[in-house]
Amino acid sequence: MAEQEITAKEKQQVAGQEKTRAGRFFLPGVDIYEFDDSIKLWADMPGVKESDVEVRLKEGVLTITGTVSTETYEKLSPLYTEYNVGNYFRQFELNEDIDDQHIGAVMKNGVLELTLPKGERARSRRIEIQAG
Amino acid sequence: MALLRFSSDLDPVSNLLTLQSELERFLRNPAIRLGVSGPGDFPPVNIFDDGDGVVVMAEIPGMDVASLNVSGQSHTLTITGYRKRETVGDAAGYHRRERPFGEFSRSVQLPDELDLDKAAARYEAGMLTIRVPKAESAKPRQIAVNPA
Repeated sequence: MAEQEITAKEKQQVAGQEKTRAGRFFLPGVDIYEFDDSIKLWADMPGVKESDVEVRLKEGVLTITGTVSTETYEKLSPLYTEYNVGNYFRQFELNEDIDDQHIGAVMKNGVLELTLPKGERARSRRIEIQAG
Repeated sequence: MALLRFSSDLDPVSNLLTLQSELERFLRNPAIRLGVSGPGDFPPVNIFDDGDGVVVMAEIPGMDVASLNVSGQSHTLTITGYRKRETVGDAAGYHRRERPFGEFSRSVQLPDELDLDKAAARYEAGMLTIRVPKAESAKPRQIAVNPA
């Protein structure tokens, strides 16, 4: 595939449920890839530190929350703005059977990387075909 | 130059966000000229005044510092780099692919009276922050008044 010209997308605000925490929430952009024995998810959450990310898996719903610190902006007055600053929130319903004891989560440079290992039932197996 | 101030303690994030709309009328701020790139180009930038100069912030998550370049010439600040996709070699397929990857170059023309030689850039949590202080000659001075 040819490399597309890189563009910035406007952040989408989370619609629906109201949060108790003040402040607006945006949907982080994600990539989700499927492997034979796992699902991997990457979420872009620039401005969120390692300590400010929360990942939950409950009843098949994966919830990602990232909180940005507003301290950075306290003494700044804007001259020009192109992107909104806010927290991140996104939920996914997982169709697959996930081994929730072994989920891996790494946050680095504003990118959350999740490794969701498939449970025994969901792993794809290659079935040997016997010659007839 | 203070155009707006964040004031309420109640909801700082919300205050920040309202800036976006309030600032649309300042898009043609004569102090900031964008040059060849503009809104929609990667990475998105926000530009602030911190009292001592200008702070340029760009959201560029998941970069190696080594593949991120910031350069300045005359009044133009340029951010270039290559954002590389994670290795997904043996993936069976993908369900979502929303994140931008590839080569980028973005430049911003800064107001006069800044000292680009003293600019400092920092990359943390996927945010690039470049501080460019005012030139000494542009700082306000106290002029002593002598008795006759």
